[in-house]
Amino acid sequence: MTKRKIKQRAGLAVLNLIFILLCFVGLVPILYALSLSLSSAAGALSSRLSLLPEGFTLENYRNILVEEPFLRWLWNSIVLAAGTVIVAMACSVTSAYAFSRFRFRGRMQALRGLLILNAFPQILTMFAIFRLFKTLHLLNSRWGLILIYAGSMCIFSIQNLKGYFDTIPVEIEEASKLDGATELQLLWKIILPLAKPAIIVTSVMVLIFVWNEYLFATTFMLNETTYTLAGGLYQLQANDYSRSWGLFTAASILVSLPILIIFFIIQKHMVSGLTAGGVKG
Amino acid sequence: MRKKRQISVWLHSLPAMVLIGGIIVFPIIYTAYISLTNMNLFHWDNYEMIGMDNYVRALFKVDTGFLTAILTTLLWTALNMAFQVVIAFFIALGLNAPGLRLKNVYKTLLMFPWAMPAYVSILLWKVGIYNTEFGLANKVLSALGFEKINYLSRNVPAFLSCMVLNLWMALPFMIMMFDGALQSIDKSYYESAKMDGAGFWMQVFHITVPSVKPIMAPSVIMTTFTTFKQFDIIYLLTQQKGALTGATLQTIITYAHQNAFVSNNYGLSSAVSMIIFVLIVVISLFLNRGLKENDDV
Amino acid sequence: MKRKIYGTLCGLLAVGMVAGCGSQGVASNAANGGNVQNAAGGENASDTAQNAAEEGQGADSAEPETVTVWHDGDESIMQVIADEVNKELEAENVTVAFEKKTGLTDQLQLYGNDAENGPDMYFYAHDSLGMFAEMGILAPITDFISAEDEKDLLPMTIEAGTYQDTQYLLPVYYETLLFIYNQDLWEGEVPGTTDELYAYMEEHTDTAAGTYAVVNQHSTAYNVAPFINGYGAYIIDENANPGLDTEEMIEAVTYNKQFATLMGEGDYDTCNTLFNEQKAAAIIGGPWLVSGIKEAGINYGIKSLSEFTLPNGSPLAPYSGVQGIGVLKHAEENKKDAVASVLKALCKENVGVSLAKESSCAPANAKSYEDADVAANEMIMAMRATAETAQPMPNLPQMSVMWGPAESLLAAVNKSGEDVKTAAETYQQAAVQAVGDMQ
Repeated sequence: MTKRKIKQRAGLAVLNLIFILLCFVGLVPILYALSLSLSSAAGALSSRLSLLPEGFTLENYRNILVEEPFLRWLWNSIVLAAGTVIVAMACSVTSAYAFSRFRFRGRMQALRGLLILNAFPQILTMFAIFRLFKTLHLLNSRWGLILIYAGSMCIFSIQNLKGYFDTIPVEIEEASKLDGATELQLLWKIILPLAKPAIIVTSVMVLIFVWNEYLFATTFMLNETTYTLAGGLYQLQANDYSRSWGLFTAASILVSLPILIIFFIIQKHMVSGLTAGGVKG
Repeated sequence: MRKKRQISVWLHSLPAMVLIGGIIVFPIIYTAYISLTNMNLFHWDNYEMIGMDNYVRALFKVDTGFLTAILTTLLWTALNMAFQVVIAFFIALGLNAPGLRLKNVYKTLLMFPWAMPAYVSILLWKVGIYNTEFGLANKVLSALGFEKINYLSRNVPAFLSCMVLNLWMALPFMIMMFDGALQSIDKSYYESAKMDGAGFWMQVFHITVPSVKPIMAPSVIMTTFTTFKQFDIIYLLTQQKGALTGATLQTIITYAHQNAFVSNNYGLSSAVSMIIFVLIVVISLFLNRGLKENDDV
Repeated sequence: MKRKIYGTLCGLLAVGMVAGCGSQGVASNAANGGNVQNAAGGENASDTAQNAAEEGQGADSAEPETVTVWHDGDESIMQVIADEVNKELEAENVTVAFEKKTGLTDQLQLYGNDAENGPDMYFYAHDSLGMFAEMGILAPITDFISAEDEKDLLPMTIEAGTYQDTQYLLPVYYETLLFIYNQDLWEGEVPGTTDELYAYMEEHTDTAAGTYAVVNQHSTAYNVAPFINGYGAYIIDENANPGLDTEEMIEAVTYNKQFATLMGEGDYDTCNTLFNEQKAAAIIGGPWLVSGIKEAGINYGIKSLSEFTLPNGSPLAPYSGVQGIGVLKHAEENKKDAVASVLKALCKENVGVSLAKESSCAPANAKSYEDADVAANEMIMAMRATAETAQPMPNLPQMSVMWGPAESLLAAVNKSGEDVKTAAETYQQAAVQAVGDMQ
């Protein structure tokens, strides 16, 4: 083996080691939660120093899946998440494209202005939206929630997508424009495939936001069966005095799993199309 | 022609703008309206306009506590952002090293803190890690022979503890953003740089950092705002009713919560929120002047 | 359109049935006593029937009616209540449906006057009563039932449900703190005065080794209340004046501080774990701890806090938390009868007996204690004894902003080592400010 290769191999080994250590340290609280969820003891604390469960049992998981309407919550979360992602992306892609491609003075100011709107403390936002939705009769409706979530994530999506769109050289579109392609075709056939990592990253962000959001979900939806996962989970733990740590941690792990699975699956789509060579400027 | 473009942009953005208008802009306007009324528990349905009274009251409440809160908040935001950006950048760089075969596994594992709902994480840390008697942190310390530390009862340790928790929860997002940004950099830049003889760190500083800046800007700005507004961590760790830990750490939001929102006086709380909002806008405009480069790409 | 048709049909049906049903109503209600009342009930039935025809709401006593109750408590306890009430009201075709709503106070602020989406009644602790009453969303209980129906209820519980001389909450059960000790670990008799208790703690506590005699959440206002009330201090009085800097309060807080030094961290989870792992011989806690204690296999004994005497001669006087049901105003217009039935059903002693047997709750109905099983339950009888000296938590709306300053005072004194007098003055100021801000 050449000296360079040895150096490379060693470097990689060190890097791997670092990452394994990093993952372990970062995951300690999660492992703790996992051990709680698998133990039969009622309390969260004990004087033992150990990450292994005390009295191994799958009872908590069984309880969650069978006693609580977990599957219904899962379904609700999926529906809301999918709906929000679609609505948010549809609105943001066209807007981001416009902001990226059509230049006019004050463009950046407008964007910055939008971003600053995020600075408003959210505590009173719910009150205002509640009043608004009450007049519009959008309470207790999935569509209402989707609108709220999509609206909350729109600004970020537009900004993010615009940033990525900016990195796609305009020249790529020029060729197709000359051939007479409409804007929609441009978007669909050229921009979106190239901006895949951007779209995926933004969608995942929206997904996680909807998945973990519980405040609006429990306030605007009135029936426990229409709760999302986060809402149901919130109810399981809300009271200091009635919390069952085993149940609660088991539910948390189950709630986080789908996100992780999705995340793992989309990894391979994250590679940008630009690396394939595109158009050399 | 320019005007046509302007109109075109806004037309394209119409659905987005409608959403943003209803969900983000409307609450601000509504809150401003309520701040001019005397809506509170005693005037729940029959409130009336009282003009700027609430603002006057809110400003009178400004005392040393408020100033300390502002300073704490600025320190909190600055430190958290600095750590987040630097650490996430390097982790993302490491993840993108060629030949790292398990990188998808690492990425997924590192995302776990983000996938877990926030209050679950905070509760776990509060009870499982920071608890003086039985938390993991102190258990490890005692096993190693050190004395137990009280993490949450004085301001400085409480600040650091909250910061560690915030980093733990927020890094995955930053890492993912950096990772995505790194993917979009044209590899040909690196190739030509390598041919010119540039070493690894030279490449990083002269190609990676500048290319990543514009893409990361919105994420960084948004995270800065989120960090600034961070309420749950500090509140749930140190100030939950029935579980005060003795630390008197306050950021603007917790201060506002303790002094205005708890009173259920919506008129006053709205005024306080508006004031905070204006404060944040002013601060960010200030900062914007300093970061004037990279505007119209 | 559809609604109007349905409503008119309902109305016609109702009018036709009332003629026959009216007398039936009288017969079934006779058990509750008072013919005058039943006549009124019959009149109301026809009134509501007419309203149904006009408004299309179909509120007829023979139609199945559901009364929605929001709560934020233990689902199993609510289930016991629901079962009892529904059994009782089967004849009248009224069912009560409990729905759990986390963050109930905030939810009621939003949905309180929402007839469409909000609940008809709510079940909660009494201390938030003042807040809801001031918001104007509650209807007085006395609009639905009379003093006669409530004669068996403990006076302390009715007092808790009264705000500004109007009763808004019908008490169902209550809870107080208790002295729970590990019979295997405790040496000798449990003392009868707090000074003796302190002496015992001094001898038997080793903070370095992590073993304690008595643990308590020493910086939580609710848990320090036995001392506060015992010394004659108050957190807030009936006129909404905070009392954090009175002499009595300073005395109580100073006295509590002694105990705090021997009680460890003082947060809920730590206290429980210490007791359940047998590192603490006793804990001051509520009935909600008992299931965990049983699971940990501890041989526990219970003593009422009223049986401990302070140096000033008064017994410890913990706060009592009364859980009751309140009615929202809009339900008074739409579902008056159904609500009245539910309330009457709850006044009966069998609800209390079931609650006591199934969930070890202390019923508000004095008659429930005559049941043999209930009388044999040590914990419930201890709470019954405590009810004599316990004080209901203030239910003023201003109380909600008092927890912060009160607990900051305790934390400052116990955890940060500040001087009691200065801290008391600081937090009294903060409290006065907070109360003023509510206006």
